[in-house]
Amino acid sequence: MALGAWLELIGSGLITGGVYALVALGMNLQYGLMRILNIAHGEFLMVGAYLTWMVHTAVGLSPVLMIPVAFLVLGVAGMAIHFLCFRRLVSTSPNLDIFEARGLMVAFGLMFLVQNLVSWLWGGDLRGYDFLTDPVSVAGAPVAGNKLLVFALALLFSLGMLALLRATLLGKGVRALMQSSVGAQLVGIDTKRLHPMMFGLGLGLSGVAGCLLSMAYTIAPSMGEPYTVTALIVITLGGFGSMGGALLGGLLLGVVEAVGMHYTNPSLKALLSYAVFIAVLLLRPEGLFTRKTRKA
Amino acid sequence: MNDRQILTRDLLVLFSLTGWGLSLPYFGSDFMVSMGLTCLMYIALSSSWGLFCGNTRYLSLATSAFFGIGAYTCALQLEQLGWAATIALGAGVAAAVAVVMGAAVLHLRGTYFAVLTFGMTELIRHAVTYYEKSVTGTVGRVLTVVPERDTIYLTVLCLAVITVGLSMWVRRTRLGLALVGIGADEQRAQTLGVDTRWVKLLGFAMTAAVAGAVGAAMSVRWTYIDPHTVFNPFIGFQTVLIALIGGAMTLWGPLIAAVVFSLLAETLRLQAPQVYMMSLGLLLILCVLYLPAGLASLRWDTWKIWRDDIRAWWKERRREWTGEKERDKRRAREQRLV
Repeated sequence: MALGAWLELIGSGLITGGVYALVALGMNLQYGLMRILNIAHGEFLMVGAYLTWMVHTAVGLSPVLMIPVAFLVLGVAGMAIHFLCFRRLVSTSPNLDIFEARGLMVAFGLMFLVQNLVSWLWGGDLRGYDFLTDPVSVAGAPVAGNKLLVFALALLFSLGMLALLRATLLGKGVRALMQSSVGAQLVGIDTKRLHPMMFGLGLGLSGVAGCLLSMAYTIAPSMGEPYTVTALIVITLGGFGSMGGALLGGLLLGVVEAVGMHYTNPSLKALLSYAVFIAVLLLRPEGLFTRKTRKA
Repeated sequence: MNDRQILTRDLLVLFSLTGWGLSLPYFGSDFMVSMGLTCLMYIALSSSWGLFCGNTRYLSLATSAFFGIGAYTCALQLEQLGWAATIALGAGVAAAVAVVMGAAVLHLRGTYFAVLTFGMTELIRHAVTYYEKSVTGTVGRVLTVVPERDTIYLTVLCLAVITVGLSMWVRRTRLGLALVGIGADEQRAQTLGVDTRWVKLLGFAMTAAVAGAVGAAMSVRWTYIDPHTVFNPFIGFQTVLIALIGGAMTLWGPLIAAVVFSLLAETLRLQAPQVYMMSLGLLLILCVLYLPAGLASLRWDTWKIWRDDIRAWWKERRREWTGEKERDKRRAREQRLV
């Protein structure tokens, strides 16, 4: 195969991988910080996509301008959900294991609730709109403009998220909480304020991802679930709770899928990602990029 | 009540329920029988799920994989073997798959286990879909020779009774104690001499065998099966939901919840399927938040506790809104100054 074709293949893998990384980052933040494995994450992505579609077709507002709106709406929704469900769960669960199992169940309930609410409100049809469909030439290979924009923005938000965690005082607090929640509370980090905020931030990121996805792909009420599963796979690849790992894992999975699909056939895509997922979980449950000595 | 009295009570309840179940095809309409069939299916699935997953706290999402394996076994073998042999084969194949799967994943706990079993279910579903599409060249399979309605009903009833009976029996044996011990503290159970690996494998295979048998029995009711319907993850989710809402640790909880759910499903699903699913989700959330031990733990006192909680909450709010709280705080501050 020629070099150009390889570049094109890896490029298309990276584009999908960028979105995977963004979805996985939000989910990983919630799991790493609060031990809430939010199975409903993909559903909130779908809500973000529907919001964008609705406003764009009704008012004609550019989807790019909808990004902060989707982020804010879902962020507030996330804080409300944390306030209503998980705050009580934290106070009533006897230990972390039980909290994790119960949190997973609440997330399952949320998944049913949100997915069916959307399909009840807007119907189950495929929807979409045209936005920047002209191809752009990148290094000799033609790429659809909207996909390129999606990739750039997804990468921007992912890196922004990482920078927020690495460089700011807020991020330092969050990382401290991830390492030891009791220790963080002892040095004066306010868990009661930080937890809802970070849950909201995670959902906000999924809203952004949904907004980006609606620019390039058609949307339907059932679109969330595959992304949830992909995000789970990415988190496993990168290690539960590791942010840089999630970013790398997302890009890697995108490329693996694109290359694998090229050599076999497209109907094997799901099979391939599940096989990668199970292999990683069985062989390296602590993630591909973490060192063995560090405890997860 | 002592141990013996509880056993007698449970046996009597099971006996009378079986009697009701047996008489249903003779007086009920077609609609009622089909509703009873769904109900019995979920009783068997969620009771067997509760037996292993409830007691050991291993949250398995693989029920739909075993269900689908049973259904496919039936679709392939029904014409060669008889009815009873097909169902036994379905149970056997599902249990064999569970042993292989369990050997690989049962050393993981908690979220890892749940996620991994879900992933394996999807892997099996996609593998079957791919195989059907590319090797046999079909999407689904049509079952031409189908037993009568009453035969299916009685088979599923029999499976449900066997499952509840099995669940009763296991709870009274060393195996049941070992399962509960693993759920409470796995390392302690190991220290006390329980061979946790084999106990878990056996429990997991038992759950899978029931799911496989039910799958084999239910597949003939649809007469046309494809991977999308029989490996539907929703079957697995709903089983887990029913068991948790009913109370996964208890004997009768899954049964109560299965009856409630079948009624809810039949009344709501036809008019408003989305509303049904939404109420399912909401019910699950409310149940986990306010009744974590399940419907079976609902007592007269529970209502009283809720009532007192709401009253206390309302009193606190009223104190806050009328400014009473602020006044109290100020008074306390002034007293300190004096």
